[in-house]
Amino acid sequence: MNLLRLNPQTLKKLRRFRDIKRGYYSFMILSVFLLLSLFGEVLINNRALIVSYEGSLHFPTYGAFHPGTDFGLDYPYETNYRELQQVFEDADDGNWVLMPLIPYSPFENDASSGIFRPEAPSAERQHYLGTDTTSRDILARLFFGTRIALIFAIGFMAAVYVIGVAVGCAMGYLGGMFDMISQRLIEIWSNIPFLYMVIIVFSVIPDAFSIFSRILILLSVMVLFSWTSMTYYMRTETYKEKSRDYVAAARVLGASNTRIVFRHILPNVLSTLVTFMPFTIVSAISAITALDFLGFGLPPPTPSLGELLKQGTQTLRTAPWIVMSAFGTLVVLLTLVTFVGEAIRESFDPKKFTLYK
Amino acid sequence: MTRRHGWKGLLLVAAALLSACGGGSNEEAATDSGLDNTQEVLDFYASRPDLFTFATPADLPADLVWETGMNEPEIGSAEATKGGTYYESIEDFPPTLRFTGPDSNFSSRSWISGFYRMPWVVPHPNTGKYIPGIAESWAVDQANKKVYIRINPTATWTDNEPITSDDALFAFFFYLSEYIQAPFSNNHYSNEYTNITKFDDHTFAITMTTAKPDMAEYALFLGPVPQHFYKELGTDYPERYQWRYEPHAGAYFIDDQNIDMGVRIVLERKQDWWAKDLKYWRYLFNPDRINLSVIRDASNRYEAFRRGDVDMMRVATAEMWYDNLPDSDPDVAGGYIHKSTFYNGGPRSNWGLWMNASRHLLDNQDVRLGIQYAANWQLVIDNYFRGDMERLRTQNDGYPDFTNPDVEPRPFDIALAEQHFAAAGFTQRGPDGILVNAAGERLAFTLSTHYDRFADVFTILKEEAIKAGLELRIEILDGAAGFRKAQEKQHDIYFVSFAPALSMYPDYWQYFHSDNAYDDAFLDDGSVNPDRKVKPQTNNLQIVADFELDQWITEYDDSEDKQRMIELSHLIQQRHHDYASFSPGFVETFYRTAYWRWVRWPEGFNFRFTSTPQEMFAHWIDTDMKEATQAARSAGTTFEPVIEIYDQYQGLQ
Repeated sequence: MNLLRLNPQTLKKLRRFRDIKRGYYSFMILSVFLLLSLFGEVLINNRALIVSYEGSLHFPTYGAFHPGTDFGLDYPYETNYRELQQVFEDADDGNWVLMPLIPYSPFENDASSGIFRPEAPSAERQHYLGTDTTSRDILARLFFGTRIALIFAIGFMAAVYVIGVAVGCAMGYLGGMFDMISQRLIEIWSNIPFLYMVIIVFSVIPDAFSIFSRILILLSVMVLFSWTSMTYYMRTETYKEKSRDYVAAARVLGASNTRIVFRHILPNVLSTLVTFMPFTIVSAISAITALDFLGFGLPPPTPSLGELLKQGTQTLRTAPWIVMSAFGTLVVLLTLVTFVGEAIRESFDPKKFTLYK
Repeated sequence: MTRRHGWKGLLLVAAALLSACGGGSNEEAATDSGLDNTQEVLDFYASRPDLFTFATPADLPADLVWETGMNEPEIGSAEATKGGTYYESIEDFPPTLRFTGPDSNFSSRSWISGFYRMPWVVPHPNTGKYIPGIAESWAVDQANKKVYIRINPTATWTDNEPITSDDALFAFFFYLSEYIQAPFSNNHYSNEYTNITKFDDHTFAITMTTAKPDMAEYALFLGPVPQHFYKELGTDYPERYQWRYEPHAGAYFIDDQNIDMGVRIVLERKQDWWAKDLKYWRYLFNPDRINLSVIRDASNRYEAFRRGDVDMMRVATAEMWYDNLPDSDPDVAGGYIHKSTFYNGGPRSNWGLWMNASRHLLDNQDVRLGIQYAANWQLVIDNYFRGDMERLRTQNDGYPDFTNPDVEPRPFDIALAEQHFAAAGFTQRGPDGILVNAAGERLAFTLSTHYDRFADVFTILKEEAIKAGLELRIEILDGAAGFRKAQEKQHDIYFVSFAPALSMYPDYWQYFHSDNAYDDAFLDDGSVNPDRKVKPQTNNLQIVADFELDQWITEYDDSEDKQRMIELSHLIQQRHHDYASFSPGFVETFYRTAYWRWVRWPEGFNFRFTSTPQEMFAHWIDTDMKEATQAARSAGTTFEPVIEIYDQYQGLQ
């Protein structure tokens, strides 16, 4: 905290935030989930945590794959650790495998009957939320899908803020012709329907990229069409702050424009920014889910909430657990983020601190 | 259904190519403009004396053997009753009512016109022998490449105008005209036919360019075009005729007042249809009205069927057949909804992986062979399609005699795949289990497609391919963008099927000839032209270019000897198999239908050469039974469940 050297005003706001229990706990839950999800491979994975084979220990979770031949099996492709566990148990000669809590990857088809179709939740088979239309574990897909959505949303928010704040500040602070022209350009730009543009652009993007770079492209396209709304708030706020006495004082003292913007104006408009953050995240999650639902989002077989929702709507009668899992997760996720947003807004509300008499 | 379909398919392609230049709707065009192109048509005939000949009945050769095709079995059921309304759903509202030109290739086209239009002669849906359509009789003069056709004098258009030889001639004017913006038809008519001769109002002859074994079909499966309807044909054809329904010789027509834009189209049966008492037609086209409602979403279509708003539903997926509408479903078990599986014959859609052999790495035959062994189609068939589909054997299955019986698809075999990949230099596995070569390149390809509904198939293939050290990146594009990518030959591997031409023998030139792979693929001595460039916009999606293969294809195309063509066909298929650029996937040898109890079918359910249950309109609506069924359903009275499998044609090509 000391490192950040937050001013007492901000500390007071943060304390208020802590006092709003609903928002605070939501925030904690989300943070813990995000933290957990960063190490999700340890919790949900078809790779074993530890394999003890002929006296040596292997940790296959991260790092290179182990072909079956590494553990005395007869195939050259990635070891099926669940089977390996069974093999070791049957052989009973001191080798063992420790599997993660949920021993499935979000990509593998695991059908009990041999037929790829949705299977109902079963604790015995460790498919706690059942499987989807091609017998992939729903919990695993939800978990990694949510992780991607969250990271995507945070990245989206960061990018939108950097651009939005920079342009908005510049418009408000510089004013004049620059402001006028930028404003007109932004008005034109923001009238391009965002969802359609994403769909069009993404449908013509060449494919010779890995899934990761395609996600990045999707992110950039979405950012490209979403940063504008932030500029309006930043522009007004900067305009307002610019005409305050302390800015004039700083200028008289010989502070540079950069210093004025970064040291004086930005900290004072922080509350506006922070208030919007959770709602930006909500809209990013909704957008990526909607795009996936429509089939224009993350390329298959990337796990995603939208894709699960889509499957769910197609199997409403036969496999209600799919739509319930996906919908439930989405509701919980968006509710938590919204609670955080509300709490932030309340704790940063200037009316709580200023009394005009 | 043979050439008629193939020809339709070709037209579809032509229309698809042109679809980019579609015009908007113009409902006012239907008013009489006073335009009349009669003189223009006559001038055109006069300017092409080679193509259009006017003769007298006396000029007809005396030794012609006229066939009437009246010895085939009747089609449909004598129990069929006329009447009632058949409710059907279509995915999209038609962008136009035109049969030709821009935008005329749309998904519901068969329902608007395709099913009802009648050519001169049709193949019997069970025996494949020719039976009369608009023609009353016909004579084939193979030696002179000529087919004589005599029009049934009672035949009329849906607007009651008589059909005459002039309409047969006008068809040539129409399809050769640039007004219709259908270059494929223009090409087809100018390349395949050399003459049409009118003898009298009901007799004419068409001359073909070659005397291929199926030459007669080129003429017999054509049809007339109503000259009186196209009096206003001109450069504004697409707009002027956008919402005007072309008269045809079939049983149903669309009245303007039955078009509810974007919502519904209703077709009415012509009560005084000229063919209604003819041997082959009297039990077909039974419902009085065909109500086509637009329901875009598949799950909504299913719900509409379950509500009884739609009478029948094609069931495409195993999931739908076994899980959504299981035999134990109350409506099925109660006998209200019947389920039928019908095994049909004829060439089928060739689902598989089309590898672009011009791409880096894929130009190596060992890589292609490795991919063949790394594609676990059997798992897809057994576990995803639940064993209902069959493994496709070649790209051209289903042509009796012409399909090489010795070509077998390659099984999933990791060891063989690794062996071939190793021969191509991919010997080491990277940290993710994917093979890499000495240059550090990963063995990874993009598997593109626009078939969203098979998305699950690709994820299964992908997971299995990893075992063999191959990465398939899945790319699902939307329809237009996806197919454009393949047409521009920008794909690595494309998943697609080409609707088969239901003809006597497969067409190889468009798929395998190097003319469609590269500009100047080979130098004169047969060696590879180092400067050759991949040719876009052709159907050679695999960039098959093999000098010897070219020679065989040319000979095959020029041959008029069926036996030699069969030999060549086997050679070509074997060579294509060795080239390994096509991984044969799965094939559906049946169609499944669920329908309400009041939809009645003839004995045996349907016909051998059909690809949809409704295309011959042999079913009928039992209106009394409909009321009884609905009443019974509300009262809770049940009937015997009807779940039938019709396999009388199973195993037949």
